[in-house]
Amino acid sequence: MTQTARPLLTRLLPYLMILPTLLGVTIFTLLPATRTVIDSTYKPPRMARGEAEYVGLQNYADLFDPAHYIGARFGRVLTNTVVFAAGTVLVSVPLGLGLALLLNRRIRARGLWRFSFFYPSLLPLIGAASIWAFLYSNTVGLTNTVLRSLGLPGVDWLGNPDQVLFSIIVVDIWKQAGYHMIFFLAGLQNIPRDIYEAADLDGASGWQLLRFITLPLLRRTLLFVLVIALTFAFQTVEQLSALGQGNPGDRGNLLLYFVFQNIGERRNWGYTNAMSVILAGILLIFTLSNFFLFERRREDERA
Amino acid sequence: MNGHNTNLHPQPLRIRLMARGDEGASRRRWALLADMLTVGLALIWLLPLVFSLLMSVRPAGEPISTGSIFFGSTLTLTNYGRALAVAPWGWHYITTLIFVIGTLAVQVFTVTLAGYAFARMRFAGRQVLLILVLLQLMIPPGVLLVQNFATIRELGLYDTRWALMLPYWSSAFGTLLLRQAFREVPYELEEAARIDGAGLGRILFRIYVPLCIPSYIAFALISISSHWNELLWPLVVTRSEEVRPLTVGLNKLFNTSDTGADYSLLMAGTLLVIAPLVVLFMAFQRRFIESFASSGLK
Repeated sequence: MTQTARPLLTRLLPYLMILPTLLGVTIFTLLPATRTVIDSTYKPPRMARGEAEYVGLQNYADLFDPAHYIGARFGRVLTNTVVFAAGTVLVSVPLGLGLALLLNRRIRARGLWRFSFFYPSLLPLIGAASIWAFLYSNTVGLTNTVLRSLGLPGVDWLGNPDQVLFSIIVVDIWKQAGYHMIFFLAGLQNIPRDIYEAADLDGASGWQLLRFITLPLLRRTLLFVLVIALTFAFQTVEQLSALGQGNPGDRGNLLLYFVFQNIGERRNWGYTNAMSVILAGILLIFTLSNFFLFERRREDERA
Repeated sequence: MNGHNTNLHPQPLRIRLMARGDEGASRRRWALLADMLTVGLALIWLLPLVFSLLMSVRPAGEPISTGSIFFGSTLTLTNYGRALAVAPWGWHYITTLIFVIGTLAVQVFTVTLAGYAFARMRFAGRQVLLILVLLQLMIPPGVLLVQNFATIRELGLYDTRWALMLPYWSSAFGTLLLRQAFREVPYELEEAARIDGAGLGRILFRIYVPLCIPSYIAFALISISSHWNELLWPLVVTRSEEVRPLTVGLNKLFNTSDTGADYSLLMAGTLLVIAPLVVLFMAFQRRFIESFASSGLK
C-alpha cells in the first residue's frame, strides 16, 4: 500500500496517538521554557498592572554583580550548589559502585543489606530531612549525644555557617548512594560470566578483574548514573525545608530552593527566571558534555 | 571453602582456589573483610530509620540518654496520636493517593499510545517530534517551577488537585521506556494478528501491553515513588489543607514553631508519611529493584 492510498485517518493516526503527550510537553515544558528565557530579559513592573520593561541581559548582569542585592546572595547560592553537586556526586556514585560490588557477591541475607542501602532513596526528601534534622539537633540529637558521651564537643550541624553545607551533603549521600547502587548491580549482572572465567584462567588477580573487565564494561552504566546523579544533585532542594531553610545567611542555600523562596516576590520575577535559565543551562552542559565525552571515547576504541 | 568469595562469580574460582592454596586463603580473608564492611555500612545506613522509630515511641521531651536501657524508660504510642491530631492527615492521604494514582492512570494511557507510535509507526517528522518530547528529560521540572505556577493560575486551577497532576500527564521517560519495550516485541506477532483481522486497539491491548507488563510495572513504581515524595510543586500550587499531599503536611508539622523542636512528635509524623512506601518496597523488593534497574539501562 502506498502512502497516498492510505485513508486520511490512518495517516493521521500516529499524530493523534502522540498528541496527548506532545500537548503536555508543549504546555508544561516547551512553552514555559521559552517564556522563562524571554521573561529573564524583562524587569517586572513596579505596580501589579504596570508594563514590564525590556532590559536585555541586565538581570543576568545583576545576578553576577556582587554589589547588587540579588547578586550578593546569588553568588553564594550558586557556589554552594556547585559544591553540593560535586560533593554528593563524587562520593555517592563511587560509593554506589562500591556497594554494588559488595552486594554482587555471595553473602547471607543479601535482601536485608540491599534494603538497608536502598530504602533512603524511596523516602520523600522532606521525610529523610526531618529524620536527619533530629539526628543533627543540638539538644536531643543522636550525633551530639554520642559525641558528648565520648567527651567530645558537640557540633552545631545546621547552625554553624562553615558546617551546614557539609551536613546537607551527608544527607544526600546517604539518600542517593543506594539508588546508584541499583544501576551498578544491574550493570554487573549484565556482564557475561565467561569473560571472567577466561580472565581467571589467564591468572588475573581480583584487582585486575575489577580494573580491566568490570570497570570498563560498566562505563555505560557509569555515564548514565553520573548524568542522573548530577541532574538530581542540582534539583534536590526540598530537604532544605527541614534542614535550615538556607540559613545561616544563605550558607546552606541551594539554587533551586533560592528560586522557590523568591517565587512569590514580583520584584524578583526577572531574576527567578534568569536563575532558572542558568540552572537549566548548567544541567544541559552536564548532560551534553558527558554524553559526547563518553560517545567519542567509545568510537576511538572501535577505530 | 567457606562459601564466601571476593570474586563476582564463584564457580570457576573454586577450581583455582584448590589449585593455589595460598591465594585461596588470601581471597577468603578479603571476602571476610568485604562481608564485615557490608554489614557495617548497612548498619550505618539503617541507623537513621532505627533511631527515628525509637524516638517516636519514647515519651516526648525525654533526652536520648535517659532511661534504664539505652533508649529511655517507657515506650509509648502517644506521639502517634498527637501527630495525627495536629494535621488533617486523612485529607493529606486522600490527596496523595489521588495525585499518585490519577497521575499514573493518565500516564499509562498517554505513554502507551505515544510509545507505540514512536516504536512501530512511520510518519513524517517522527524524529523531530521524538526530540521535542525528549526535551522534557533535558529540562527538569524544577527549572519550570516559576512559569508552570503562572500557567496553573492562568488555567484557573490554582489550589486544586488537578494542578498537582496536570504537568505530569505526559511523560517523556515513560514514552521512551515503552518505545524501547515495544520495539523488542517480535513484529511477526503483530503481522499475524493483522492477518487475522485484528485492529490496532486489539493489537495494542492483546499483544503489546501484556508482553510489556514488566516495563509498565517499572514505570508505575518509579512514577508512584517520585510523586509520593513531591514537595515543592504541591507547595507552590496549593494553599488549602484538603488538597495538599502528605509531604506538605509533614513540612508544615516540621515548620510549625510549637512542634518544630518536638522530635518525638516529628518522628512519629515522619514515619506515618513514609510507612506506606517502605512497606510497599519491603513487599515488592525484588520487583522494585529489577524495575528501577531495567528502566535505566539499554
